[in-house]
Amino acid sequence: MEEYYSLPQPEEISEREKEDAMGAYLMMFAAVAIGLPLPIINLIASFIYFYINRKKSKFIHFHSLQSLLSQIPTTIINWGLVVWSVTIFFKDDWKLTPEFWGYAIFAGSATLLYFVYGLIAAYKARQGKMYYFLFFGKIAYEAAFKVDTNSQKIVSEVNKPPF
Amino acid sequence: MHKNLLKDFLVLLSLGGILLVTGYFISKKIWNADVDLNIKISFEQENKLGEVFNEMILNQYSVIENNAVDSALHIISNRLTRGLDSTPYRYQFVILKSKEINAFTVPGGNIYVFSGLVDFTDSPEELAAVLAHEIGHAEKRHVVSKLVKELSIAAILGSLSGGDPSLIARLLKEIIGNSFDREQETEADKFGLTLLEKAKIAPKNLARFFEKLNSKDLDYNENLEILMTHPHNNKRIENARRYKVGNDFQALPFDINWEKVKMSIR
Repeated sequence: MEEYYSLPQPEEISEREKEDAMGAYLMMFAAVAIGLPLPIINLIASFIYFYINRKKSKFIHFHSLQSLLSQIPTTIINWGLVVWSVTIFFKDDWKLTPEFWGYAIFAGSATLLYFVYGLIAAYKARQGKMYYFLFFGKIAYEAAFKVDTNSQKIVSEVNKPPF
Repeated sequence: MHKNLLKDFLVLLSLGGILLVTGYFISKKIWNADVDLNIKISFEQENKLGEVFNEMILNQYSVIENNAVDSALHIISNRLTRGLDSTPYRYQFVILKSKEINAFTVPGGNIYVFSGLVDFTDSPEELAAVLAHEIGHAEKRHVVSKLVKELSIAAILGSLSGGDPSLIARLLKEIIGNSFDREQETEADKFGLTLLEKAKIAPKNLARFFEKLNSKDLDYNENLEILMTHPHNNKRIENARRYKVGNDFQALPFDINWEKVKMSIR
């Protein structure tokens, strides 16, 4: 039976934690703007953010991991667009096919949709609320709130009572 | 938990799939706007439009007609049009007296070549390569699509019924003076190269002609259609140079005294 830590309620979360959790999403927007021609900067920035903040609290751990993971698909999609564009530029003399435009529309709308959800998540995080993305929300919840029974065993074996 | 994750993953994948398919259909719909030309302007209307242009061109330029030119054009055009599998046009090739190195196509399949261009070529094969490129523009309906982009369909069709002469003059200027977009030029090149191969003319002649244009310090108007997207045409030269002919291809040289033809147009 899997055990989970109880979820912190908004009034139990400090302002600082709420801001840090919100920052995980907002920082992504800034990183995307900087790394627009190379959609990998956002992922690197999110990873650093997650790595630095993950131990501050479970609430921050959840939001920063959700932000990091959920960027992977759009990053891959946008990389596809970059690679395709470069190929067209060097090999096909900018021969833009309907397939390319179709993919560009797909990549653009996927990124836009993701931005909308990112903003909603940032807003919820600022209010001290959980907000679960499809698929990634569950993984992030599992990673942040699941009780690690194995590590508990080790802890209990190390610190033994004096008698 | 794992079942839930799998379900979520499948939903996410389906959403992505729907988005991708929708994107493709939207793009295809926009892309096919050009194809809709077939519905908007019929070939009959295009032919009539060609007659209107022809009349105006003949008023502006004098046509060069003599035995040497007529016979050469007849031989070249016959070879090229035989290479076309099927075509809605009846191609007419006309030499106009002008020092400009240019050639252009009007709606309906009439192709006009300035004497300056003929003089610039070293062989009938080079002229055939230019004509094959122009046929490419006609077959792909680039001229009509360019006009439609410039003016409304109503205005274009209005010019059929002897509408505003200044409008027709403007359209003609558009046809002679401005290049097509890079993609259309590439498409016309591709069509021209295939046509040359079918007509047993070495496709390298197109590359040779482009290279000559590029290498000579010519006093020309850079917007002339035949000069394409100059100076970005290196890629096009390369494409023409790299065009692979079939193993059984053997060029059949024209039996034309080209120097005599060139002398006759000067």
